[in-house]
Amino acid sequence: MGKPKFYDFCVHAVPDGENTIEQLSTLARHLGYSGIALANHSDKLPQSQPVLPTTNEFEVFRGIELVEENPSKLHGLIGKFRKSVDVLIVHGGSETINRAALENPRVDILNHPAFDKSNGLNQVLAKAAAENDVAIGLTLRPLLHSRGPRRVRLLSDLRANLDLARKYDVSLLLSSDAMSCFDLRSPMETLALAEICGLEEDEALEAITTVPEKIISRSRPDPGYIREGIEVLEEGDCF
Amino acid sequence: MKRLLPSLRAKKRYLAFELISEAPVSRSDLIKEVMYTASSLLGDITTSECDIKVLGFEDSKGIIQCSHTKVKETRASLATLTRINGKRATLHILGISGTVKRATEKFLQNRTTFESEINIKSKTAEE
Repeated sequence: MGKPKFYDFCVHAVPDGENTIEQLSTLARHLGYSGIALANHSDKLPQSQPVLPTTNEFEVFRGIELVEENPSKLHGLIGKFRKSVDVLIVHGGSETINRAALENPRVDILNHPAFDKSNGLNQVLAKAAAENDVAIGLTLRPLLHSRGPRRVRLLSDLRANLDLARKYDVSLLLSSDAMSCFDLRSPMETLALAEICGLEEDEALEAITTVPEKIISRSRPDPGYIREGIEVLEEGDCF
Repeated sequence: MKRLLPSLRAKKRYLAFELISEAPVSRSDLIKEVMYTASSLLGDITTSECDIKVLGFEDSKGIIQCSHTKVKETRASLATLTRINGKRATLHILGISGTVKRATEKFLQNRTTFESEINIKSKTAEE
């Protein structure tokens, strides 16, 4: 095993964010990422599908962050977009939406579960997340930009969610949620910040390397893959 | 005053960094902002243990000193730096070393800055 590969699975480009995907990917590559996922909010999608710049050592994945208030409409949107994206994120923020997202195995990540005076998760939802393999997204942008009481609130929500995730074995995913180039941070700094916020070193590393890889391998199955547990092996692969 | 024996001096780490910013930034503004973000994230007590100092800053590259046991805390606090003097900026740490000389040789010399490119970027974004 060589150097770990780092991924940032939630960046927003024009028209949702400020910079174009080329600018974001140049900077992300410069900072040391192996891949990013372009995940614009579903209410601010560009007219046409953007062309994703991809070179051999750096990949831009197609993603989307669904924003929806109504759970049944959310399930509709998931069905509509699932086939065309690699990473499907749900923008949480109310009890019903969090629940709908975590109970749908086709969702990859739930971002911003916290609302009003709640951290957004409880034991029921955490169990559902573990069963359906939906990762809880920890986003950096709010932590970077807030100061004082607001950041204290965010950190204590994060810690509460972290406790639940540990207990029920829910996967976590660190992402920048960048709206512009200036919201991107290098992987090492992201890790340091995550560790200060209460994650263990291996948890933080997993949240930025193996969890994203797992999500990609799930949405891009091997050619021989039929369904969970059934796979066509090449002759040489058997033993 | 007599200088401390080398074995008694506090051990340090030197972080080489580049600053990616919208507008050119002065040294004093950077120092002010670094100390402010550190004490805001870590609190005054931990920040004093970190022993953060901006040693040199020129041409949007520089070196920050910190205590060798508090590298993680320092890195995290530098990551939360978002604005300097109202202009958006990001501090990107290029590498860490135990001596100033090595940090300069290894990470700062013969490096093309990314800064010019990002300046063009922010301008195109404004248009």
